[in-house]
This record gives sequence, C-alpha cells and structure tokens, in this order.
Amino acid sequence: MITSARVFFVGGLTSYRALFTWLSPWILIPTFIVTPLFQVLFFAYIGRDAGVADDRFFVIGNAVQYVAIPCLFAMGNTIGNERRQQTLGLLLVTPARRIPLFLGRSLPVIANGVAVSVVALVAGAALLRVHVALATVPPLLLCVVVASFSCTGLGLVTAALALRVRETAVLVNIVFGILLIFCGVNVPLASLPGWMRSVAGWLPLTHSIAAGRRASVGAGFSALGGDLGREALLGLGFVVLGLLLLAYFERESRQRATLEVF
Amino acid sequence: MKTLRLLAVTWWLQVKIRSRSAFDGLLSLLWPLFFATTIFLLYRAGHQAPGALLSAAVGASAMGIWSATSTTASAALQNERQQGTLELLVAAPTPLPLLFVPITLSMATVGVYSLITTLLWGRFVFGISLHVHAPLLFALSVLVIVVGIGMFGFLLAVASVRYRSSWALGAGIELPVWFICGFLIPLSQLPGWVRPISWLLAPTWGMTAVRHSALGGSVAPALLACLGLTAAYAVIGTLVTGRIVDAARTRATLALT
Amino acid sequence: MPVIELDQLRRTYRSGGGIRRRSGREIEAVRGLDLTVERGELFGLLGPNGAGKTTTIKMLITLLLPTSGTARVLGHDVVKDVREVRRRVGYVFGGDRGLYERLSGLDNLRYFAELYAVSPRTQRARIAELIELVGLTGRENERVEGYSRGMRQRLHIARGLLHKPDVLFLDEPSIGIDPVGARELRRTVATLRDQGTTIMLTTHYMFEADELCDRIAVIAHGELVALGTPAELKAMVRGGSVLEVEVFGASDTAIDTVRAVAGIRSVGLEERGQAQLLVAQLDPGVDVTAAVLGALGDTPTGRVTSREPSLEDAYVQLVGATT
Repeated sequence: MITSARVFFVGGLTSYRALFTWLSPWILIPTFIVTPLFQVLFFAYIGRDAGVADDRFFVIGNAVQYVAIPCLFAMGNTIGNERRQQTLGLLLVTPARRIPLFLGRSLPVIANGVAVSVVALVAGAALLRVHVALATVPPLLLCVVVASFSCTGLGLVTAALALRVRETAVLVNIVFGILLIFCGVNVPLASLPGWMRSVAGWLPLTHSIAAGRRASVGAGFSALGGDLGREALLGLGFVVLGLLLLAYFERESRQRATLEVF
Repeated sequence: MKTLRLLAVTWWLQVKIRSRSAFDGLLSLLWPLFFATTIFLLYRAGHQAPGALLSAAVGASAMGIWSATSTTASAALQNERQQGTLELLVAAPTPLPLLFVPITLSMATVGVYSLITTLLWGRFVFGISLHVHAPLLFALSVLVIVVGIGMFGFLLAVASVRYRSSWALGAGIELPVWFICGFLIPLSQLPGWVRPISWLLAPTWGMTAVRHSALGGSVAPALLACLGLTAAYAVIGTLVTGRIVDAARTRATLALT
Repeated sequence: MPVIELDQLRRTYRSGGGIRRRSGREIEAVRGLDLTVERGELFGLLGPNGAGKTTTIKMLITLLLPTSGTARVLGHDVVKDVREVRRRVGYVFGGDRGLYERLSGLDNLRYFAELYAVSPRTQRARIAELIELVGLTGRENERVEGYSRGMRQRLHIARGLLHKPDVLFLDEPSIGIDPVGARELRRTVATLRDQGTTIMLTTHYMFEADELCDRIAVIAHGELVALGTPAELKAMVRGGSVLEVEVFGASDTAIDTVRAVAGIRSVGLEERGQAQLLVAQLDPGVDVTAAVLGALGDTPTGRVTSREPSLEDAYVQLVGATT
C-alpha cells in the first residue's frame, strides 16, 4: 500500500519534472495565462453581441474548458517521454502498479490544469467584473478539480492515439476544438441540436462546467454531487480506456516488430 | 520593377513551400473552423439581427488568415536558421527585409484557403447567405488584410528572432489579436482600454474594410489606414532587421553551428 | 591586385554567450591571419577541426564580422562594402542543409537566382546550363527532400555559380560524398578554375588538396602554420622517405626496438582493420628496411613499402608541431 502511494506521488513528480522544459516564462505566460484569458474575453463579448447568456456563463465555461490544454498536452508529453525513455513497456507490464502509476503520473497534470483554470477564472472575472462570492469558491474549485481529472483521463486516451499516429500536437488541438464546440462551453447545451447534446454527455467537461456554473451562483456540494459524480466516473472510464489502448498498441507494435519500440 | 519581380517570385515559391505540408494544412483549416462553428452556433442561438450572421461569417473566416500567420511567423527565422538557409539569405546581395517579407506574406496568403473554407462551411452547414454588399471591394479588402497581416507577421518574425521558443509568443497572441482587432466584435463594443491598441494594428483596419464591404459602410478610409500602418510596419521591420543581422554577424548566431 | 587579401584578420568568440550571460571564456578562432590569393588561383585552406577555416571563410563572405584586422575581396572591404562583396562571391558548403526541402531543385535555383539578381532573360538558360554542369539533368523537378547527399551537394554548387561569381568559396564540399561523386566534383572545380574563377577551398582530404590546389595554407589554432604549393609543403617535411610495414599484432617492445634503429626519426602505428600499419619517418638518404624487419623479430609482417613523404605527412608534421 505504501509502495503504491510512493509510486503514485514520486513517480508522478519525477516524470513531470522531465517534461517541464516549458517552465520558461516565455512559454508559460503566453500559453497558460494570456491565451485562456483572451479566450474568455473573446467569447464573453461575442456572447454580449449575440445576446446569449451573461458574462459569468462565458467566464466559467472557457476557464474550465481551457484545462484541456495543460491536461491533454502534459499527458501526451508524459507518455511520450516514457516511450522515449523506453520505460513505457515496463510500466505496462507490472499490472499491480499500473493504476497507481498512471494515476500518479496524472497528479501533476491535474494540478497544472487546475492552476491554469483558476488563473483564467480570477483574471476573467476581474476584467469582466463578474462577482465571485467567497462562499462559492470551494464548490467551484471542486468542479475545476474534477474537470481537470476527467480531462486528464481523456489526455491518456489522446496520448495513446498520438503514439500510434505520431502527431500529438494536431490530435490535441483537434480534441480541444471538439470540446470547445460540444461541451456547453460557449453555446448553451439547450441551444445545441439533440445529437450534439448526446455526444456532449459522454465528453469530459460538460458536467463539470454545468456544475461550475451552478456553484458560482450558490449551489452547494450536495446539489453538485450528481454532475460531479458523473464527470468523475467518465474520467475513470477514460483512464481505463487509455490504459487498454496503450496495452493494445504495445502488443500490436511487438507483433508488427516495428522499430519504434514501445 | 526588379524589386517587384523579386518579391513576387520569392512570395510565390514560399507559397508553394507552405502549400505542400499535408498535416499542417489540415490543422490550419480545422482550427479556425472549430472557433467558427462555435461562433455560428452562438449567433444562431441568439440574435437573428440582419447581417449578424454574415458579419460573423466574414469575421470568422478572416480569423483563419491570422491563425495561419501568427505561430509560423514568430518561428519563421528560427525555421530558416534550422534549415540552414538563413545564412544563405544573409549572404545574398539583396536587402534582407525584401527576403523576409515574402515569407510572412506567403503565410497570410495560405490563410486564404482557410478563409474560403470557413465561408463555405458557413454557407453549406449553417445556411448563412454569403451575399456581400460590394463584392469587388470585398475582394480588395481581403487582399489588403492579407498584406496587412503579412506585414504584421514580418514585424513579429524579426521581433521574436532572439527567443528560442518564439512559436509560443506567436501562439500566445493568436486570440488576443482576434479580440483586439475586432474580428468579430466592432471596435465600438470593445472595452475602452483596448481601442488605442486596436487602432495601431493593421489587421483592425483590414477587418473593418472587409466587414464594411460585406455589410455596407465606408471602405476606403479603413483600407487606407491598413495600408498606411502596413507601410509603417515595413519601415520598422527594416530597421529591426538591420540591427538583428548586425548582431548575428557579431555574435555568430546565423547558423546553428 | 590580389583577389583576396587578409591583413591581421582576427576573430574572437565568447563561449557560453547568450542573452544574459556576460562572462565566459574567450576563444580566439582566428589569430591575426595574413594571406593573399591571386586571380585564377585555386587556394586551399587545410587544417584540423576548429582551426578557424570556416570562420575565416565566413568572414570573407560577410557572414561574420571580424573582431579586428581587415579583409578585402576583389578590392572591397568585407565590413564596409558588404553589398559589393556579396554580389561577386559564391558560397558552397558541405552537408545536407541550406536548401528548401519542399521545393524542387529547379525552384531552389530560381529562388536563389532572384536573390542574386540574375536577369530574368538569362535565368532560364543559366539554370539549365548549371543543372547540366552538375549532372542533375532529369532530377531537377523532384523535391529536394528526396535528394541524396551527393545530389544536394551538386545543387549547392549550381546555386553558388548562378550569378557567375568571380570568387567561389567551397567549405568542405566533398564531405559525405561517395568517391565517384567526389571525383566528379573535383573535376568540376578544376574546370571552374581553368575558366578563370578564383577558388578558395577548405578540405580535410589531403589528396583532394594535393590534386586540386595551386597553393595551400595550413592553419591550426587560428594561425597560419605553412604556406606554399603542395610540392613546397611536402618538401618541408624534414626528413627523407617514409617506410611503411604491414604488421599483425606488433607488441609494444617490438615497436620500441624499431624506434631505436638508427636513421629512424619517428614511428607511428595505424590500425587498419585486422592488421596494423607501421609508419616510420626516416632520416634523409638512409635505407633501414632490413634493420626494421630485424627489429620486428617474430612479429608477422606483410607488405613493405617505401615512399616519398605525402602531403598528409607534411600536414601531420606541421600541425603536430603546434600542439
């Protein structure tokens, strides 16, 4: 048990540090602070022009959606690094440690997502003069954490696909775009055609964004339980799917005896 | 005359280079489409004000021109350096700005593919009527905004040459420019503190011209403002180019080795 | 008037330099080089890695600013008359880079032809002529990304000649090229010189320098070590002929015994796969073949050759003396 916990925390941190070559402010600030903030502003003003919802709607929607960038990319990089260091195969081979290992890998990623989201929330709310009551902060924060977890799960799936297809950046950007359109980020779910709403239900972020909006106007933990529970389960589902895909691709690459050893 | 030919030929060859990457091409078309789709859905859900959808369509399609330029322009010189061609460009007797401008101009040109795709997307998926008020002026305005964005890209390219991760800077200003230059939102609706910055950016005026030519409104002043700023960027960019090349020749950073 | 003149040309690098770091070691890559190259010469720059050859060339083609000293190409100062120099020189370097991968060879030449203001009327003919000269006919419409190293090198040469430069700088042009390709390259270079182009060539390959160059400057640690025709340089090798003995598994004691033989100046052992080559530099006018074979004792030997000092021997001796 203790070993697993250690694997969980330490393993996660060490692999994450390796990927943090983008710790340079020249990358951090534009990618994690400027872009999400302007995404909030951009859509908030469009919403005003189109007469849809209010500023609060767009602040929460976009600030939460943006966890996709750190979560998807960081997970992609983490897995990519494992593969480059040729430790990925080893990880997949030890089933007893598999889940804690990968969940450990995801902890810094989730933290990264939460940090980015919070910054965008605070800055966006400040610039647009959206009032965030102190009491709403804890439930709101929980929504962000769950969203980040769920998106990290999707990040694992994306990372597995990216290893196969070898185009991480393109894949991540496409997934980002899909999330932007479907998950009720900027377009209220009620305004979406039925089929899009159904798809949205199976994507990360949809439930936590809805919960987040309710949290910001005073909904308490119990009221959010349903949505957040669903979101967390989805996240777990994505993690399992991601692990299965990784194992499958690894077996496939061994069968095909490709030079790109897993 | 010779200069014009030089610019035209080098621009054309650069467009060829940029048009030949399958994967980059796919993403450069898809990325603005994601935003366009969100925008169209939003406007459909809200206002059905006359012209709102058309305005959104031209705005969203012009966003693609900027997307095609922002990240690649900021990394343009790093790219040339890695390819080993930067040295050869400097070693040539032609003034360097004349060689750099076609590079970023070609990026903006390739953005026209995205413009067309987004317009068609709006037309066939969202049923937005593309009946523009003044088609010839519209075409001219698109031309001018391409030039304006291309020259803005030139400024970006030379300004970010010292930064190893210059691509991040370019990517970082992609959305800010969409917002500040009023691609979707007319300047009058933007916050006060933004407007002075907007006025200094050529794409703002190019976008105004595009929108007015599509929906009605005076186009000439906006065109002139865009071209004027473009000329100013050319001058500034030329001065900066001279400085960075001299610095590179002193510190031996033109090549990777 | 000499075509190229270097006067106390100096170039210092600050290593570890960057945006913020001020401190760092200073490396003197070129230390007060004095040279002249006459019109129509094929001039070679020979030297080990890091000797300053490429740095010198880059200063002459205006890509690098000298720290001090002057250089003139065709009478134009490389710092003050930059445009004039650039118009009249061509620059070709070895390696894979320096071309637009996604363009065809032909488009690459068109691009550089524009850069060098080759008039539109003559461009097509000139490009065709050059493609033929470098042997790329039939492949010019393929994208460069599919070219082999040798083809890229040939395209580089074509590129360097587009504007009919008076001076051509070749920086290690045959690196990584197969022997046949390299031979054709040498032939092309010799032809160019015969046609009146002044050429400055840097190379690692002794036989290339020996075969092609009218004069050679040996450079080491940024300084001129020797200057002269290949024959003059070979004559500088103090000593007589060179004795080469193929040996199989010579022990250290055997080598020491050989070294002790009278008339031997120096002994070197080179690995040649299964065998080794014992290279002995002899005093002038001695013949110690028998003595050497005797000193080797039971060590199995193969071929024995006696030859005159080569350029490589001269080079090794000249460069070795400076370390």
